[in-house]
Amino acid sequence: MSSKDLCCCAEQMAMATVPRQEWCEPYDLCTALKEGTIFPCLNLAFYKAPLGESAQKPVSDSPDDGQRNRETAMNRLMEVGFAINDLTLYLDTHPSCPKGLSLFHRLSEERLKLLADFAGNFYPLTQLSMVTGNTDPNEYGWTEGPMPWEGACI
Amino acid sequence: MFAYEKRLQYPVKIKNTNPDIAKLVISQYGGPDGEMSASMRYLSQRYTMPVKKVGGLLTDIGTEELNHLEIICAIVYQLTRDLTEEQVKTAGFDAYYIDHTKALWPQAAAGVPFTALEFQSKGDALADLFEDLAAEQKARTVYDNLLRVIDDPDVRAPLKFLRAREVVHFQRFGEALEMTKETLNQKNFYWTNPEFDR
Repeated sequence: MSSKDLCCCAEQMAMATVPRQEWCEPYDLCTALKEGTIFPCLNLAFYKAPLGESAQKPVSDSPDDGQRNRETAMNRLMEVGFAINDLTLYLDTHPSCPKGLSLFHRLSEERLKLLADFAGNFYPLTQLSMVTGNTDPNEYGWTEGPMPWEGACI
Repeated sequence: MFAYEKRLQYPVKIKNTNPDIAKLVISQYGGPDGEMSASMRYLSQRYTMPVKKVGGLLTDIGTEELNHLEIICAIVYQLTRDLTEEQVKTAGFDAYYIDHTKALWPQAAAGVPFTALEFQSKGDALADLFEDLAAEQKARTVYDNLLRVIDDPDVRAPLKFLRAREVVHFQRFGEALEMTKETLNQKNFYWTNPEFDR
């Protein structure tokens, strides 16, 4: 019997086994960002920080319409961007999962549009969106906007 | 190559100055199980990984850890940016302040500077993947410990997010372990070192 005849999943002495994740229906993107994963089956909370604890409001009560619009746009970008991050790791180990692939493509298209809109309406978050967002070619733009760690635009 | 996207992976917006908390949270920047250690571990190990997809996973998780390092730094920065002279003297932040003022510097909660000795890049796929699985568990423990002692909801929200990521990364490294095992001698996984005996 060649070594290939043995089932690769068989448990063996002196070796650990981790079960492969099956696709589970993802959270809505807002919940996913709050909880830290799009997959309910991987959301294993600590009892001192149970599910649904996060109380942070994604958009402030600022009276400034511009600020609120910017926060709303940034929030959607974070939700979509994070879902893509989590999905990327899933696809790295499940590269032929049709449901994962179709969600990945749908979200990536939305992300492209959100980045272009953000660059056009506010300031560019990536250098490519300086082109896709139809920003003024006579202005550099890349140095505009608050730095991410300032907490000014969530 | 890496390219910057001008936003955090998870929002950080902290209202109240609190150097006491900053001194604890900074451990996930430069501490033994911090995000810098995690990122450097995965990004170092990936070059010699025998299974190409595992090298890809290490790249993607190592990159995500850089996002996490930035979130941790944003927390520490916002907790200390409005620090007064009086708070510097009384809030247990004094020793850090003497050397770094309000700047970010990678150290553990107890003041030990970041060191590459905190992680391994062993050149043996099984040894390295078990190191990675353990790293995710240790980082989760630190987040559990932080969530036990920190009350400020503005700080808890990103910490809770980061803790959840450790669990997800553990699962992915587990799957990487299974993918690697499939390529080894099925009667004895330890027969060769796939990163050396080719």
